[in-house]
This record gives sequence, C-alpha cells and structure tokens, in this order.
Amino acid sequence: GLVQSCGHIIPESPVLALGSNFTALCILNESCLDFGNIYANQIIWKIKNRVVPKEQYREINRTVSSVTFNDTSSLASPLTCNILADGQIEQNIYGITVTVGLPPEKPRNLSCIVNQLSKLTNPMTCTWNPGRHTFLDTHFRLKYRWPQEDFPDCIPKDVNNSCTIADVQFFVNMEIWVEAANALGKAESDPLVLDPIEIVKPLSPHNLSVNSGILPTVLKLSWENRISAAVMKLKFNIRYRITGDTNWMQVPPEDTASPRTSFSVQGLRPYTEYVFSIRCMKEDGVGYWSDWSEEKTGVTTED
Amino acid sequence: LGAGQSIQKTYDLTRYLEHQLRTLAGTYLNYLGPPFNEPDFNPPRLARVERVPSATVDLDLWRGLTDNARLAANYRAYSRLLCYLRALDGQAATAELRHRLGHFCSSLQGLVLSIAGVMSSLGYPLPVGPAGPSAPPGTAGAPNDFLKKMDDFWLLKELQTWLWRSAKDFNRLKKKVPPAVVTLRLEARGF
Repeated sequence: GLVQSCGHIIPESPVLALGSNFTALCILNESCLDFGNIYANQIIWKIKNRVVPKEQYREINRTVSSVTFNDTSSLASPLTCNILADGQIEQNIYGITVTVGLPPEKPRNLSCIVNQLSKLTNPMTCTWNPGRHTFLDTHFRLKYRWPQEDFPDCIPKDVNNSCTIADVQFFVNMEIWVEAANALGKAESDPLVLDPIEIVKPLSPHNLSVNSGILPTVLKLSWENRISAAVMKLKFNIRYRITGDTNWMQVPPEDTASPRTSFSVQGLRPYTEYVFSIRCMKEDGVGYWSDWSEEKTGVTTED
Repeated sequence: LGAGQSIQKTYDLTRYLEHQLRTLAGTYLNYLGPPFNEPDFNPPRLARVERVPSATVDLDLWRGLTDNARLAANYRAYSRLLCYLRALDGQAATAELRHRLGHFCSSLQGLVLSIAGVMSSLGYPLPVGPAGPSAPPGTAGAPNDFLKKMDDFWLLKELQTWLWRSAKDFNRLKKKVPPAVVTLRLEARGF
C-alpha cells in the first residue's frame, strides 16, 4: 500500500490463558533498517499507552526484540511495538490485540425434563451449570445419541446453560452430555443415560367436570387425560376446598394411585360448593407431577 | 441394560408404535383417499408388493423358531419396513403428516436399535447383510399413482400386523427371561 509497515509482531492475535506467561516478538523489516537507521534496541513496547518496563525486553538480534510477561493478567490490548530513533519522534511499528481468558470448566449438574406439549410432541429441555466465567467466546452444545445413532447437536439460543430438543423418542435409552469449547480448550460434562419416558412432566388432565351424586356427601369428578395409556399409565392427586376457603384438602394419594378418568369424592358437607383441581404423573412415580388442572366447582345436594 | 429391562423397553416401544400407527394409518389412508380409506377395502396382495416383508406367517412355524431366529426375523423386517416408510415420509404432502411420519420413523428406528440391544444382551449375533431393500416401493417401481397408493396401503397394513405380533413376541420373551434381580439371586445361589 502507500505506507509500507516497518515490521510486525508475532503471534498475531493470541488468545492466552489468564495467569500464564507470554512472549511476543517484534520483527523489523530489513528495508526499513537502512532507510530509517533504526535497530531493535530502539524498540519500545507499550500496553495501550503505558510503556512496558525495559527489564521485560530482550534484543534477540539487530531486527528482533522480544517482550515477556510472566502473568498475562497485566496484559491488555493493544500491545504495540514502537521505535524511538535518534532525534526523531516515537513511531508505531505494529500492534496486536491480545485476548486473555480461561478454558471452559466441565459443565455440571446436567438434568433434563420432557415437558409434554401435545399427544405426539415431546420436547426435552436440559439444563446444566456452565461453570466459571471464561472471559472468552465460549460455545456450548447439547449432544445426544442412541447406541449406533447420532443426532444433530442442540445449540443453545442466547443462553449458555440450557437447550431444548424439539422431539424425543420414548422407550429407547439415550446418552446425553454437554460440550463447552472456546479458543483455549474444550470440556465435556459427565453423560446422562436415560429413557425420556422416565423424565416426563405430562400435561395436566383437562375438561374436568364435577357432578353431584346420589348422596349429599359425594361429588363425582370426570376428566380427560392428555397422554395416551399406550405411552404412560398415570396416577393422580385430587385436591379440593370449600369455595371461599383457602385450605386445600387432598384425596388420599393411595386412593388415586392408578389409571382412571373419574373419581367420586366422599365425606363432603351437604349443600356446599367445593372447588376441585387435579394433577397427574407416571403411575410408578418416575418423572414429574403435571401442573394442577384448571379449577372446577360443584355443589353437593341437600341432605 | 440387563436383558429383562431391555426386553421390557422393547415391548413398551412396540406398544407405543402400535398406538402411534393406529392414528397415523387412519390419517394417511384419508390422505390417500377412496377406496383406500374405506373400512371394508381389502384388496388382493399384488405380486409387486412382495418386497415389503409380509407379516403373514404360519403361526406354528413362527412359534417353533428359536428366540434368536425370531428376534432376527423381527430385526430384518423392521429394518426393511423403516426404509419403505422413509420413502413415504419424503412424499407426504401435508406438514402435519410429515411430522407424524417423521416421529414414527424415529420411533421405528428406535425399535430396530432396541431389538439389536435385546439380541446383544442375550448373546445373539445381529443379522448380517443389507438391512434395507435396494429400491423401496413407490419410488421408481410404481408405474402409476394407483399402484403407488396400493404399495403404501400394504406397507401400513403389514406394519400393523408386524407390530401386533412383535408385541406378543416380546411379551412372551419377557416372561422367559428372568428380571435382573432374580438373575442375581440365582447366580448368588450358584445356579
């Protein structure tokens, strides 16, 4: 170009581990030596505009000067190589950007949940502890596979501690792990081996209806389950309270610990309005409770 | 996974596939339209459909097979059925149908792997040789649209029968292979 540079620094744009040592070299061009009557021993190293102490310099030869930092924590950008020739003003020869950070730590506490979305779509969200801040551009990937079948990685969006896989398959064990990578290295979490059917949070039962029974102390609940019995047998919690009251009572869990779409709640007060809500989970207790259903009211008959 | 657990999972997956196929087949046959979606439509099995693994077997013969041979037959059948199904998946016009077919194909792929897992947990070798057909039906082979639809119809029909019988196979096998706990206890007593 118009202006020919009189030298350069190597390495060009280093990424350095915090607390490590670092040496850079400034190499002058022969052509500039003759023209400008300049030598390596006239080089001045600067961090931003602060002169680096001369004790850290070393003249390698006529055209090369090195500077060494025992601890990169003091380093910042730019690191420049400048020359102060006899009777002249100080001139900049070259400058580099230095990036200082940490390699990623091993991601920990990986856990996953399948939040049922519809009868046929089962997205699985995994979360993990990404570890310390690295001060570097660090990429996380959620990786998963079946024996003999790899799947495309799940790339987190805007976060570094969670990813959602759009749709997982039940009844096949999958191996899941997290990989963290930046310019200084890569780290992998311990793998999780699980069958997604074991970490389901089903949709809550819906279309709950409450009908008074023959007896004034009984109300019959009916509802629809939103996960097929072929996928999962369910158990239930049913809670109820008198309208206006804040304390919930619950049907003994053992009474609703098997698949059903209705239940008669007994021992109620005659001619009283009650509010009911229901939730479900896998019958064998593996997985998560659904949210509570919408509340529905019903009134017992007069005595 | 122990053999018992592996078989239980494979059985659960087969039942899950049966459940999925019930709604999927109905949706797909409606997509094919009459006469394919009419309940009493029962066409002859055309010679060209021979490439789809027929689920029609002599039950005594089938029962007489060793567990290894029966598992291998299941493995080969689903490997081939999966290839045919993937051909279907690529052509389905509606997004909803493609999503369901895609989900089902993944489940079926899981079944192939699960059967392989059961076989290795029981110490059986996997069948060798190409898992799938050279040219799935309904691609280059179908001279016209009606025959293409006939291929699809028979594929779904055979698949339903395979799944129905495989569930029984795995249920029977599940009972023959003691769960891990019992195995440990037996081993502890020197059996």
